[in-house]
Amino acid sequence: MKRCLTLVLALAMLLSLSISAAAEEDKSLQDILDKGKLILGLDASFPPMGFVDADTGEIVGFDIDLAKEVCARLGVELVCQPIDWAAKEMELNAHHIDCIWNGMTITPERLENMSISLPYLKNDQVLVTRTADGYKTLSDLAGKKLGIQAGSSANDALDGTAEFKATLGEIIPFEENLTALMDLNQGGLDTVLVDVIVANYYMTVNSYPFTILKESLAPEEYGIGFRKGDAALCKKVNEILLAMREDGTLAKISNDWFGTDITII
Amino acid sequence: MLRAENIYKSFGKNEVLRGVSLRVDQGEVVAVIGPSGSGKSTLLRCLIDLERVDSGRVVVGGETLVDTEKGGYAEKSALRRVILKMGFVFQNFNLFPHFTVLGNVTQAQERVLGRTKQEAQTRAMKVLEKVGLSDKAAEYPFMLSGGQQQRVAIARALAMDPQMLLFDEPTSALDPLLTQEVLKVIKGLAEENRTMLVVTHEMAFAREVADRVVYMMEGAVIAEGRPDEVFALPQVRAFTSW
Amino acid sequence: MKYIDNPQRLAGLLGQLWQGLGITMSLFAYTLLFSLPLGLLLALARMSWHKPVRWPVQFFILVMRGTPLILQVFTVYFVLPMVFGAAFERLTAVVIAFVMNYSAYFAEIYRGGVEAVPVGQREAAHVLGFTRSQAFMHIILPQVVKRIVLPVSNEVITLVKDTALVTAVGLVELYRVARNAANAVGSIEPLFIAGAVYLIINAVVSFLFNRANEHFGYYQG
Repeated sequence: MKRCLTLVLALAMLLSLSISAAAEEDKSLQDILDKGKLILGLDASFPPMGFVDADTGEIVGFDIDLAKEVCARLGVELVCQPIDWAAKEMELNAHHIDCIWNGMTITPERLENMSISLPYLKNDQVLVTRTADGYKTLSDLAGKKLGIQAGSSANDALDGTAEFKATLGEIIPFEENLTALMDLNQGGLDTVLVDVIVANYYMTVNSYPFTILKESLAPEEYGIGFRKGDAALCKKVNEILLAMREDGTLAKISNDWFGTDITII
Repeated sequence: MLRAENIYKSFGKNEVLRGVSLRVDQGEVVAVIGPSGSGKSTLLRCLIDLERVDSGRVVVGGETLVDTEKGGYAEKSALRRVILKMGFVFQNFNLFPHFTVLGNVTQAQERVLGRTKQEAQTRAMKVLEKVGLSDKAAEYPFMLSGGQQQRVAIARALAMDPQMLLFDEPTSALDPLLTQEVLKVIKGLAEENRTMLVVTHEMAFAREVADRVVYMMEGAVIAEGRPDEVFALPQVRAFTSW
Repeated sequence: MKYIDNPQRLAGLLGQLWQGLGITMSLFAYTLLFSLPLGLLLALARMSWHKPVRWPVQFFILVMRGTPLILQVFTVYFVLPMVFGAAFERLTAVVIAFVMNYSAYFAEIYRGGVEAVPVGQREAAHVLGFTRSQAFMHIILPQVVKRIVLPVSNEVITLVKDTALVTAVGLVELYRVARNAANAVGSIEPLFIAGAVYLIINAVVSFLFNRANEHFGYYQG
């Protein structure tokens, strides 16, 4: 339900933007084509969406592969530009980057300040626990210690489920999801609230003996952020993504990274 | 040699010099004595442009340092020329701590007088010998005693070959023992018939060495004349008795 | 252990750390290169007799020292382009902000050093016939240098730490490289490796400054 609503909202935004943009001469797409490159802003510390490959030193990830394909079809070069995540809107508005494409959760505030693409991936904020503890439901976590990444959308999800939040014993913020999971592994925490995609990545990479609770908190969607006035560019990217879905490219990339197609375009 | 006429100087509301006139002839040794606050140091400093007078006239070796009625102070290069006719020795020595003793004596020679390194060093060693410190040429000032530092300061002034020497209470910062070694050097210079103006608290020295004594009080010259004359005056006797 | 038993990967990481270090070192070097002399000019202006020269400089120093460096970086990199249209490259923008900031700090250190030189030194120079610039160059400045070695070295150490601020404009310096690597492989080893590098840099800087301080100890006073 919420997903549909977000989708409708996004489309409505898009529509209204393209209408108003048409009135004002939106050169965003043309500018990119003229420039010959699309500058993608990301914080390259977010596997598996966008991160630095430990062996090649290149920036890789699901988002990167998607972007490469989109750029190929657009006929421009993809340039990956590391940015400070907290400054992402400033980077975008100052024209230092052309889009934010880094597993960015679509939120009402962001919809207000940016043109956002069609949601392309569903994400859940899930509760990761040690398998040995045998926790099964949210109520099992009453009075327990929960670790969470400071400033992440996980915090919004937690605030959104105020009843559950109130039952927790202690909420401990961490700089990185990795360190929260490390603390979970060594017993300093009882659970970590984190994007399911991130949880799966670290559980694989480190073979953590974790279980993800079936009951997730607020589901989210990832979208690509463009400058508010760049409706033309946003529209074009959406068209390409739809085309990629039609010809199966989208599914292929998802399979490469996740073993299954979890895209939602 | 040096003529100061009607010098007025105030610091803020405080009038320190009130129409002071002074004369030093070639070859004379003039001692200026008086209680603290009498303005004697200020007078000396005015003569070499360390302080600027409010009004008055100072002429050194025929050249005008300042004449407030006729154009004020000399301009830069003329001013420097006049200053260089005099050598000045401070109460606190003011040696350059980052140069050796030799360096202190050669720096100004090289940079201001344009002498070559050789010339400067030769002259420096000569004056250092005169003050009895040629063996300390390679030392740094902080390694020397106060008396030795003051003697280096005298050498530094001499090396510039000035026409007259000004001493601003040269021994006031020294203990009695070190005072004597410095007074000895100054006496030696006096015996060479140099033109000297010495502001001092050392009464015995003034009596012995000066050709003329000037007694100042509260910014004015109260008395001047030969040492025995001046020291016999009642106010001066009152001042010097302890 | 994800790096210890994987020499190739370790080499790769060290290569990235080296590049990240290069960014930090460039910022460090450019900042010192420009702010040390600029600070001297500012100090001279700050000590000038002429109010139209002194007041703007005093204001500049006040603002630069009174606002956070990160804010200054943001202003140069994000705000100036909006106002003037032209955008600076990331590293350039950071260097500009850093140079303005550090030259203000150095200016005050220089001024403190100059004012700490006893007035008698200037007087001695005057009676010996030195011109003002001669006196400044040969008598005052050398004595200032000795006095400011310690405060300057403190600022330099601060600078080493401040260079981490480049991350605000997305530059990937030593710490970020380590953090990205850590997140990618799921271990905090890279952070320790980077920490060791930071420590070595600081040790070298400290050593150099101690030598400098000893060198100027050849005289006292």
